[in-house]
Amino acid sequence: MTDITKQAFAPARAFMSDDLLQVFYRLAAALLICLALAILSDSFLNLGNILNVLRQASLLFFIASGLTLVVLTAGLDLSVGANVALSACLAGTVIHQTGSPALGVLAALATGGIIGLLNGLMVTALRIPSFIATYGMLWVLNGLTYWYMAGEIIHGFPAAFRQIGSGYLFGLPIPVYLLLIFLSIGTIFAQRTIWGQEIYAIGANPVAARLSGIPLSRRLLLVYAVSGTMAGLASIIFLARLNSAEADIGESLTLPAIAAVLIGGTSLFGGVGTVFGTFVGALILTLVLNGMNLLSVNASWQPLVTGVIVILAVWLDIKARRRGE
Amino acid sequence: MREAVLAVTSNPLQRIPGVAIMLLLLVAVFGAVAPGFMSEVNIANVLVQSTLLLMLSLPMTLIIMTEGLDLSMGAVLTLTSLMVAIVSVATGSMLLGFAAAVAVGLIFGVANGCLVAALGIPPFVATLGTLGMAQGLALIVSDGQSVVGIPHSVSEIYSAAPFGIPVPIVLAILAYLLFHGLLYRTRFGAYVFALGGNREALTYAGLSPTRLLISVYALGGAMAGIAGLLMTARMNAGHPTAGLGLEFDAIAAVAVGGTSFERGNGWLGGTALGVLAVGVLRNGLNLLALPSSIQVASIGALVIIALFLDGFRSRS
Amino acid sequence: MSMTLPIHESSPFNAPAPPLLELRGISKAFPGVKALDDVSFGVWPGEVHMLLGENGAGKSTLMKVLCGAYRADAGEFFHRGEKVAINSSSDAQRLGIAVIFQEFSLVPYLDIAQNVFLGREPMGRIPGTIDRRGLLREARRVLESIGFDIDPTIPVAKLGVAQQQMVEIAKAVSQNARILVMDEPTAALSDRETELLFELIRKLKADGVAIIYISHRMAEVFALGDRITVLRDGRRVGEVDPARATPDELVRMMVGRNVDMSYPRHFVEEPGQVLLEVKGLSAPTGISDIDLVVREGEVVGLCGLVGSGRTEVVRAIFGADPASAGRIIFDGREKSGGPDEAARLGLALIPESRKAEGLALARSVGDNLVVSALRKLFPSGLFQPRRVQGVSSDLIAKLRIATPSARQTVALLSGGNQQKVVIGKWLAAGAKLFIFDEPTRGIDVGAKAEIFALIDRLVADGAAALMISSEQAEICHVCDRAYVMREGRVAGELSRAELTEENIVRLGMHHA
Repeated sequence: MTDITKQAFAPARAFMSDDLLQVFYRLAAALLICLALAILSDSFLNLGNILNVLRQASLLFFIASGLTLVVLTAGLDLSVGANVALSACLAGTVIHQTGSPALGVLAALATGGIIGLLNGLMVTALRIPSFIATYGMLWVLNGLTYWYMAGEIIHGFPAAFRQIGSGYLFGLPIPVYLLLIFLSIGTIFAQRTIWGQEIYAIGANPVAARLSGIPLSRRLLLVYAVSGTMAGLASIIFLARLNSAEADIGESLTLPAIAAVLIGGTSLFGGVGTVFGTFVGALILTLVLNGMNLLSVNASWQPLVTGVIVILAVWLDIKARRRGE
Repeated sequence: MREAVLAVTSNPLQRIPGVAIMLLLLVAVFGAVAPGFMSEVNIANVLVQSTLLLMLSLPMTLIIMTEGLDLSMGAVLTLTSLMVAIVSVATGSMLLGFAAAVAVGLIFGVANGCLVAALGIPPFVATLGTLGMAQGLALIVSDGQSVVGIPHSVSEIYSAAPFGIPVPIVLAILAYLLFHGLLYRTRFGAYVFALGGNREALTYAGLSPTRLLISVYALGGAMAGIAGLLMTARMNAGHPTAGLGLEFDAIAAVAVGGTSFERGNGWLGGTALGVLAVGVLRNGLNLLALPSSIQVASIGALVIIALFLDGFRSRS
Repeated sequence: MSMTLPIHESSPFNAPAPPLLELRGISKAFPGVKALDDVSFGVWPGEVHMLLGENGAGKSTLMKVLCGAYRADAGEFFHRGEKVAINSSSDAQRLGIAVIFQEFSLVPYLDIAQNVFLGREPMGRIPGTIDRRGLLREARRVLESIGFDIDPTIPVAKLGVAQQQMVEIAKAVSQNARILVMDEPTAALSDRETELLFELIRKLKADGVAIIYISHRMAEVFALGDRITVLRDGRRVGEVDPARATPDELVRMMVGRNVDMSYPRHFVEEPGQVLLEVKGLSAPTGISDIDLVVREGEVVGLCGLVGSGRTEVVRAIFGADPASAGRIIFDGREKSGGPDEAARLGLALIPESRKAEGLALARSVGDNLVVSALRKLFPSGLFQPRRVQGVSSDLIAKLRIATPSARQTVALLSGGNQQKVVIGKWLAAGAKLFIFDEPTRGIDVGAKAEIFALIDRLVADGAAALMISSEQAEICHVCDRAYVMREGRVAGELSRAELTEENIVRLGMHHA
C-alpha cells in the first residue's frame, strides 16, 4: 500500500500537462542532436540529407505508430517487422499480377490486419502473454515469407505507385505528407476518441478498466489489429520506396520500431505516451543513425547502438515510475 | 522417475509426456514420407546436429523456469563462435579460443542477469537489447566476413569420435548430466525452482533472489560460449550471422518439452526430447526439400500449439 | 501506562516464571488507521493462546509484527523476561517465532523435504550439492515428530491445503520454533483434517511449544484454548479463561464499541420495485446457491466474516467472475455477461481495493470520473476534453471532492476523496444499483460520514445500494436489511428490527 502522506507532499502538476512536457523535452533533445550533427558534419544541413532523414523517419513512424497503441496497453508486438515483409511481398505480387496498385494496397492492409487480429486473438482468447505470442508469430511469418518468395525478388512497379515512396510534392517527399496525415489521425484517435481514452485507461490499470465497464478483450483485439494494419500500410510505402520486395526487408525493422516507441516516451508498462511522441522518437533515432552514417561509422554498429538505446530508454522509464510511486 | 512426476498430472492419459508423443509422431510421419530418414547415417546426423541446440536449451530451461527468457542467446552464440575462430586463428590455440568464447558469453550472461534482476527490466526487452548489441559486435569483429583458416585442433572437436562415439554426443551427454545434477541435486537448483514458483520464499529464507537470478542468466551465457566452440568446429569457420535465431529453436524445444512459462516447473528430460523433436522436424523437412523458412514456420506453429496445450492442461 | 496488570500476574499456571514471549504497549499505525494501540500480551510455553477479534481488530498486524515483517512504532518485547528487539525476520527466527500465514511460503514444484529445509539444506560431499539422503532422513524425522505420515519426496504442488499447512508446520518445527503463530489454520480444512491438526497442536503443547492461535470459530476457541485474548479496534479488550466464559460474553467483547455515528439515515417506509433479483447463484470462486433481492430505495447490507464469500457474491453479480449456476435479473432483464454488460445495464461496483481495482491512479480526477460514462457523454465517439471539465466540475462540486482541480492526479487525493471519485464515476454513468465493497475502509471518520450521507442521497433519488461492510455498527446504522454470509452461503437475512451487531456476529460465526 502506498503511503498517502508521502504522496501529499509530491509537487503539484505544472501548468503544462505531463504528456506535453515529456514530448517537449524530447523535441528539445532532437534539436540538440541536430545542432551537434550540424557542428560535427558539413553534410548534415544539406537539403538532400534533411529530406532523407525526414523520409526515413516517416517510414519508421508508420510501423511504430500502430505499435504505440499496443504498448500503451502494456503489451508488445514483436511481429511488426515480419508483418511488413510478408505484406510487402504479397502486395508486390498482387500488383504484378493484376497491374492494379489499389488492389495491392488492399492486399497489404488486409494481410497486416489479419496478422494483427491473429495476434490479438492469441493474447485475448488464448491468454498467451503478448511478447511470446507475437514472438512466435514473428517466426511463423518469417518462415512463410521466405517460403513464399523462394529466394526471388519482386521488382518494378508502376511509376505512379512508386511516387508514394519516392515522389516529391512541393519539394517534400510524399511520405512526409503521409506522415502528417497519419500523425493527425493517430493523435486524434488516441486523444480525441472514446476508444483512445479507453486504451489509456486499460494501460493505466487494466483491472480497473474492466471493472469500469470497458470491454477489455474487444479493445485489445482492436489495438493489435490496428498495429498489424499499420504495418501493412508501412509495407506499401516501403514497396514504393525500394521499388522491390524481398523476404528479408522486415528483419531490421522491429528493433528500431520498438526503440522509436520507447524513446518517444511511451512506457512499456502502459498508460503513458503519445503518438506524437513516437514520431519524435522515430526522428531522434533516425537522426542518431544518420549522424553515424555521416561520420562514417561502420554500419554494423547500428544494431548495437539501437540495442543500447532501447535498454537506456526502458531503464529511464523504470526510474521514472519508481520516482512516481 | 522423479522428474517425470513433476511434469505430468494425475490423469492417466496425460501421464505420458506430450513431447514424447509428438516426437514419436514426427518420427513416424517422417519415417514414412521422407526419403532416407530412417537410415543409420541420417539418425546419427540428427543426433549430432542436435547437440548444439541442447547446449542452449538446457540453460534456457532454467531461465524460463524463473519466468524469464533469453532472446540474445543466438546472437551471443554467433559472437562467441566468432571469438573462437578469431582467437584460435590468431594464437593457434584452441584452448585460448575456447576461453575467449566462454568469457564473452559470461559477460553477456551477467549483463542480461543484471538488467533483469538488478534493474528490473522485463527479460524480453533486456535480452532483445543485448541481442542487438551482440549482433552488432559480431558484425564489427568479423568485418562482415567469414573467418577461415581455423586450426585443426578446433575442427577436430566436431569430427573426432573416440570409441566410435562422436565428441559432440559425449559433450551433450556430459552437459545433460551436469544440468541434471545442478537442477535436481544442488541448492542452486532448488532455488531456481523457487525463483519461478515462489520468489518470496527465498527472501523469507534469507537468500538473495537477485544474485541467484543473475547466476541463472550467466549460466546461459557461459553455455553459449561452449556452444560457440562446437559451432565453429562444425562449420570450420567463424561466420558473422550463423547462429542468429537459434534462441528461437531453443525456446521452442523448452516449450514443447513441457516446461511452462509461469509456474516454476521444469523438466530437463522434456527439453532433451524437445530438442530432438525440433531436430527431427528440421531434418525431416530438409529431406523433403522444404526450405528453412517452412521449417521455421512449422516450429513456430509447434510452439503455439505447445503453449496452448500447456495452458489447456493446467486449466483442466 | 494502562491499567492492566503486568502480564505474569495473570499467568494461567500461577508460575512465577516470566512468559516465553511478552509484548508490552505495542503500537503500530498506518496512514489513516491505528492498527495496534498499546497492546500487551504474553504467552507461556505449552499454552494455546487464542486471539479473537473482528476483521480489522488488529490480528494480522500483530502477526506481522511478531514475525518481523512490520516494525512496531512503540512498545517493547521481552523474551523470558529479557528485553529483545524484533526488527527483521531473522530476529524473529532467532527468538524461535514462526508464523504460519494463510498464504503459504512454499515452492510448488519442490518436494516436501526441500521446502521444509529451504535455505538450510544439509550439504553433500561436493560443495553446493544437497545431501539427499540426509535431507530425506531429517525430513522424515521432523514429519514423524508432528505425526504427519507422508512421503517427503512428493512435490508440494500435489498436496491439498491441509497437507501444505502441515508442511509449513514441519518447517517451523524444524527451525526449533518455540512460539508458533497460526492464522485461521482450520479455515480450509475438513472436520477430519481439523481433528488431526488439533492432535498435532496438543502434541506440540506437550513439547512445551507456545501457540498463538487466531480463529473465528467458537467451537475451536473453547476446545483448544487455554486463554483467550480479545482484540477490538487495535486494542486489547481483555483476557478470558475459557473454562469460565461463555460465547455470548466473547461476542459482546468483540463487538461493543463507542459508536458515534451521527449520520442521518432516512429509512425507507415502503421499498420500491425489485431492482435486482439473484436466484441460486453459484460460482467456482466458492459461493453456492445465493438468493437475494434488492429494491429501489433500499440499502441492503451483506455481512459475514472475511472469507465468507461476500466479495465473491458481488463480483459474480457484477460479472467480474464467471458464475457456474443461477440467474441474475436486473431491472427486469436477465444478465449473463461481464462487467461491460453490467455497466451498460446500470450496475455499479465500488471495489474493496479502490486503488488497485477502482481507479487508474496515474490519471487525472476528470479522466477517472468519465471513464465509465464515455459512451453516454460522447455518443458520436469523439471525445471532448472540455466536456470532461464540465462534467467533472459538476461532480466535484456535487460530491464535495477535495481536489485543486479536475486535472489533479488521483493518486494525490486522500482515501475518502478517492472513494468519492469512484462513486462519482458511476454517477456519471447513470447507475441505478451501487454495489459497495467495504466503502469506508481506510477512510477517516469525517469522510465516512460524508460517504454515508452520499449513499443516503443516492437511494433517496430512486437508486439502490448493496453494501459489504465488516464493521457491524455501520451495517446496523445504515442498512434497511442485511444478508449474513457464512462459508460461501447465505446464513440468514435480518430485517430492520432484527439488525443488531450481536445478531450479525452470531449468524456469521460457526457455532458448534
